[in-house]
Amino acid sequence: MNVLKVSRWTIAVFVLPCLLLYVCLVFVPILVSFYSGMLDWNGIGESKFVGFANFGKMFASDPVFWPAVGRTFLLAGFSMLVQLPVALLVAILISRNVRRPNFLVSSYFLPVILSVVVIGQLWKTIYNPASMGGMINQILIKLGLESWTHSWLTEPKVAIYAVIVVGLWQYLGYHILIQFTGIQNIPADIYEAAKIDGAEGFKADRYITLPIIVPIFKISVVLSFIGSLQSFDLIMVMTGGGPAHATDVISSHMYNMSFLSMKYGYGSAIATFLVVVCLAATLIINLLFNRLDKRFS
Amino acid sequence: MSQSVSVPVKKPVVHVRRRRFSVKKTIVFAFFGVLLVTQLYPLLWLLIYSFKTNEEILSGSFFALPKVWQWSNYSAAVEGGNYLKYLSNSLLVTAVTMLGVILLASMTAFAIARFRWKYGQLVMLVFLLGMMIPMQGTLLPLMIIFKHMDILNTHLSLILPYIAFQTPIAVFILSGFMKTIPHEIEESAVMDGAGVFRIFRSIVLPVSVPPIMTVCILTFINIWNEYILAATFISSERLKTLPFGVYSFVSQYSVNYGAIGAFLVLGALPVILIYFLLAEKITKGMVAGAVKG
Repeated sequence: MNVLKVSRWTIAVFVLPCLLLYVCLVFVPILVSFYSGMLDWNGIGESKFVGFANFGKMFASDPVFWPAVGRTFLLAGFSMLVQLPVALLVAILISRNVRRPNFLVSSYFLPVILSVVVIGQLWKTIYNPASMGGMINQILIKLGLESWTHSWLTEPKVAIYAVIVVGLWQYLGYHILIQFTGIQNIPADIYEAAKIDGAEGFKADRYITLPIIVPIFKISVVLSFIGSLQSFDLIMVMTGGGPAHATDVISSHMYNMSFLSMKYGYGSAIATFLVVVCLAATLIINLLFNRLDKRFS
Repeated sequence: MSQSVSVPVKKPVVHVRRRRFSVKKTIVFAFFGVLLVTQLYPLLWLLIYSFKTNEEILSGSFFALPKVWQWSNYSAAVEGGNYLKYLSNSLLVTAVTMLGVILLASMTAFAIARFRWKYGQLVMLVFLLGMMIPMQGTLLPLMIIFKHMDILNTHLSLILPYIAFQTPIAVFILSGFMKTIPHEIEESAVMDGAGVFRIFRSIVLPVSVPPIMTVCILTFINIWNEYILAATFISSERLKTLPFGVYSFVSQYSVNYGAIGAFLVLGALPVILIYFLLAEKITKGMVAGAVKG
């Protein structure tokens, strides 16, 4: 029970500055966004209230929208099916085999703290044609796989995968770190007790590490899912959504519509959709994991 | 005698086990090594790239070292690209944001954790709800609001939303910690006649330095690298922050590859230096920040 009895004024002084700033700059904009999603407006001139017309257009007749949604989920899928399992495997292997893990974990983590602009430009150079010093294409040619070379970021079919690889590369270390920390926090005597009962190695991991790590793994899943939904800076820096919308995701589509095509109303409608999907995704993941948690315990 | 007999009996057993063990270990460590190379080699390569001439970059082999290390790339980057201006802008924006976040969030966290009032949990819930709202969703309305307030294209238009978006996690971490401070401390302080502000300033804040450090680190990493808001709200060259500055340098000087590489290295350098100094604190802080999911 909190003990400090204070006057309303004191509470107001302590809470209001922060709360007001927060509500005005986070919640109010979201509401404004809901509203302007119903306008036909270019941001400067007259606006016209059109109800749900923007949403109707978005769902029914925008040729870019659904593929962009699909790509967003593709990103999330790769992250959850490739990045997270690899991270978990690495985390388990490190905690079992390495006595001084700090160097390894913090080296894997290094790309996470770098600016997306730097990372994006770096990988753009790596993806360059061999004639411009691109690493991947030069390696492929050296291996005699010349037919495998691509101009990775300008061919519509491969561009999105090229971007996804960068996202997976940059944040792998984050998930390794999260899950490794989770494993480190499992008390050692559980494993000792299991050893006496004859469970060691992978068996111990299956029956001890995995069930205990579920809540931590959930954090990784939420982060990677929300991160994919918001995967915006990387795409803007590397391709801007091109070539010919081949790498557009929800957020980049929203940005291009609002700030390049100046369709503020329509852009707001997409932004609203993004916010709703984010909230729904967090909710669904939490529900799924609560169920999973119950089954394990 | 008995010792010399028992040793040869025992030895083969140990030997075999150790060898089988080490084969497995070799594979595991080879895997670690491959992963280390994939995570770090691109960065090392960027460093080497930044010292090459255009010719070496375009026609030379990827793996070759530069014949002469071109420091001139770096002077071109610093002189042609306003590096120091971007750097000082980033420092200013990040520092003010950090101060703002710590001040505002710690006050609110204090109220949530220690005051006796009805709506503490509700306020916490409001903050928690906001954690799930993506920053991009607010981009357009914020721009319109800031245009009306006439603060578009100022540092304030970055600092205000930066503070707002960092407060939820900060309030969460700080109030979680402040709840663990024993109540006896403030009871005795009240006995001694200390007011609420005094308790906050002289007792709670000094005790809360560790979580404040965590908040600082999280804020620093998130804000230092923020690109989208900066690129949308700022248009003056002299106000650009580092990530945006790097981006505009790269798009302007698209022919001087070495200088671009140098600028990218310079862009990454501040964070990497800080990471070398504080790696453990940073990784701990980032884990604490991850819990917000």
